[in-house]
Amino acid sequence: MLQRFRHPWTDDRAERTLGAASLIVGVVVVAMVAFVAVHAWPTFAHDGLSWLGPGGNLKDQTEAMQATGAHAPASAYHLNAWPIVYGTLLSTALAVLLALPLAVFSSIFIVELAPRRLRAIAIPVIRLLASVPSVVYGLIGVLVLVPFVGNHIVSDSEKAKYASEVQLNGYSLIVTVAILAVMITPIMVALICEALASVPKTWREGAIALGLNPLRAILAVVVRAARPAIVAAAVLATARALGEAVMVYMVSGVNFWSPRPGDGVTFFFEPLRTLASTIVAFAEGASAPALRSALYAFALLLLFSSLALSVAGYLIKLPLRKYQVRA
Amino acid sequence: MISTRRVLTALTVAGVLGAAAPVSASAATTITMSGATASYPLVSLLASKYVKTHKKARVKFRIAQGGAQVGVNDVSAGRVTIANVSRDPLPSDPAGLDFYPIAKYGICVVTNKGNTLGNLTASQLVSIFTGKVRSWSQVSGASASGTIDIESRTSVAGVLTSFQTLLLEGKKVSSVASEQSSEGLMRQAVEADPNAIGFISNYQSDKGGVHVVSVGGVTCSRSTVISGQYPGIARFYEVTKGKAKGAAAAFIAWITKAAPAKKIINTQWVTI
Repeated sequence: MLQRFRHPWTDDRAERTLGAASLIVGVVVVAMVAFVAVHAWPTFAHDGLSWLGPGGNLKDQTEAMQATGAHAPASAYHLNAWPIVYGTLLSTALAVLLALPLAVFSSIFIVELAPRRLRAIAIPVIRLLASVPSVVYGLIGVLVLVPFVGNHIVSDSEKAKYASEVQLNGYSLIVTVAILAVMITPIMVALICEALASVPKTWREGAIALGLNPLRAILAVVVRAARPAIVAAAVLATARALGEAVMVYMVSGVNFWSPRPGDGVTFFFEPLRTLASTIVAFAEGASAPALRSALYAFALLLLFSSLALSVAGYLIKLPLRKYQVRA
Repeated sequence: MISTRRVLTALTVAGVLGAAAPVSASAATTITMSGATASYPLVSLLASKYVKTHKKARVKFRIAQGGAQVGVNDVSAGRVTIANVSRDPLPSDPAGLDFYPIAKYGICVVTNKGNTLGNLTASQLVSIFTGKVRSWSQVSGASASGTIDIESRTSVAGVLTSFQTLLLEGKKVSSVASEQSSEGLMRQAVEADPNAIGFISNYQSDKGGVHVVSVGGVTCSRSTVISGQYPGIARFYEVTKGKAKGAAAAFIAWITKAAPAKKIINTQWVTI
């Protein structure tokens, strides 16, 4: 029986086997989306898309959902998830804005300017950083950064000023964004480095021969040619930040508070909640049907956002393709 | 080639038999549990002792946490055999649940080690946790200064429900409070924040790292729970859907009657 597999496969058989493998992956993805959508349906059926909107008090709503038990009345499905949608958008956007320039410039340094020996160390280290499990970052965040920000950065007068509305005890937007940025930068650096390295040397030399100084040549030719890869890296990093659950759950605070830009610097010290971290928070309590449906709705929203991100990334890359190199 | 095939066939058959053997041997009953994080240490001690002393009953335990409300929902939906619950039955609980009290425990009010607050009166406690008083300077005896950081538990926690009934006169903890999802996280949060105040079971506060505040002049310890002086005495329950049956009934009866179980309960908690 086994020796049949030892002989080289015919093209026909190899094609069918590999085709079946990729088909299975496709089927699993479609089945997963369908499963999540079916379970999320009661939430959509009750509120349509308005559950994404502001208003109401999400904390009271989730508590009511948990209290209803096994047979939830239709009213229990009522939900205003805007605070966590806002929290997700805010933390992701800030983290990517912070990490993207950092990643581009450090990639340029590593590929173009760093001495060979440093490059030989830097690239494997960055790959390693990109694969650190997020719970490790979360642990450092909750044991080191959160108490540090709560006890030393936020002033007593700031705490007292907002005491009746929100506790500024370190679980904050700034810690969340900082750790998210640390998490996604290595992913972007790893991808952008490869793209920069694959730009043909002759292009750079040509630009220098035409009279550009080396730095201008890098920015005008090499980085320009690698733009599609930079976009791809940013999309991947955004997806990672969007879906990061455990780390954000540990450091972002536990109330459904929405940081208010009007509060000045304090804005960064206010707690928040994201879609993914809310799913983690309630996963164990998800036996109440109304809450379970709400969690599946959050999950569907996250799946949909990753899809939207990929499409957006593709559309951005289209006009950049003229001089692209394949990473 | 043929010999390889024979060996392979033999190995496969052996493998199938080998896999089948433990399946037929493990006719043990599994008691599944979910619920309170506060009673988890007690219940897991009891369960492992029960497994050791009742080898013939061949009972296995799978204990999840999640919070008392999670346990109540799970057991009423038939997802677990027993729910661990750290609060008294509520009118909003699903109908048809049987609550078996197994132990008493104290809910201690704790602050950071650096805050040597000795005592809180019942009314001070209420005004702190409902958010009426927001600064330590308004609390006499507190050595912390600045804003009070209230640590609370998520809404599924039975300890929160018991705390509100017993020590907050039925009022709710302020909505500004940070919510921790387990007893351990609550203790960690109070340990790390000099301005924090929270509440945990006496088992957790006995582990140290936090400062225990007396309530109404009575310190929170096992001995004041035994004497009944401490105002925050709550109960752990084992909860089943309908009357406990079979292995679950035997386990619950063992907890409430057998001497080894009572010995375990009386190490950190108090028998009913």
